[in-house]
Amino acid sequence: MALAIMDHAASTGVLREVYDRMRERPLPPAYRPKHGGVPGIICAHSLDPQLIPKVFGTSTTLNGAGPLRWHEREQVNATTSRLNQCLY
Amino acid sequence: MAALAEIATIVTHAPWTLSAAHRARYRDAGLGDDDLLQAVALAAYFGHLNRIADAVGVPLDYDVAVMPPHADPTTPPLAAAPTTITGTPAIELASRAATAAALPRWVDHVMEREASIPREVRRAIAGRVARLLGDGDGAASDAPLEPAIATLVDDVTLAPWRLGDASFATLRSAGADDATLFDLCAIATTAGVVSRLRVALVALGR
Repeated sequence: MALAIMDHAASTGVLREVYDRMRERPLPPAYRPKHGGVPGIICAHSLDPQLIPKVFGTSTTLNGAGPLRWHEREQVNATTSRLNQCLY
Repeated sequence: MAALAEIATIVTHAPWTLSAAHRARYRDAGLGDDDLLQAVALAAYFGHLNRIADAVGVPLDYDVAVMPPHADPTTPPLAAAPTTITGTPAIELASRAATAAALPRWVDHVMEREASIPREVRRAIAGRVARLLGDGDGAASDAPLEPAIATLVDDVTLAPWRLGDASFATLRSAGADDATLFDLCAIATTAGVVSRLRVALVALGR
């Protein structure tokens, strides 16, 4: 890791509250990490807990509804990730 | 659909090269303005997630059918926009009401704080990102940035595959903590989302 990441187990205070709220959101099985905790891409934002609901709230408006269908949204997301050489 | 991959590619690499001809071609391929807006916004948004993931160095934590190759830090940076564009968007973000409501809350959180990075530095970072991406409407501040911050902002915007410990070494040795380094990256990635989106939506009308 280049910058600190705090996962759910290590979180306290505002970050813990944000993580708990994020865990209550519905998530497609494909995105649910096997470790059962908070997805890594959310934990990647742990240095600014209050940014998390803002970023992932925006995500819900884009990834949670059409008009593009789920596989079409995934195509845009996966293409973008590959071009940015990102694993996510 | 090939058009969606093409849109993601152009928004990621050179959003200012979109045009009214692209919009017409996508419409002929079955993508209306609402589809196009969602594709542009998704690509711009994912650009943030990718850059944050790369900056922090978060390990992949879910199953993938095919493991993608790791980032190659020797890949040259993306080209900066040759010029900036301004104008009225061909497609208004407001037509996607939930996104249009959510994005400003995110931007305000990142841009309107004073601690620990002063607001004028936040604006200067956003201005630099806007110019790199050809966003004439977002380039409000052209205040100079400290060279180490400018280098980080350029890598976040144009070469996210380079991000790693070395990207932060100079600022760390000057006393920046991880929260500040993250904040610098998040300002640049947030400005990138806004500028990519704005440039793409204006360019689609030209």
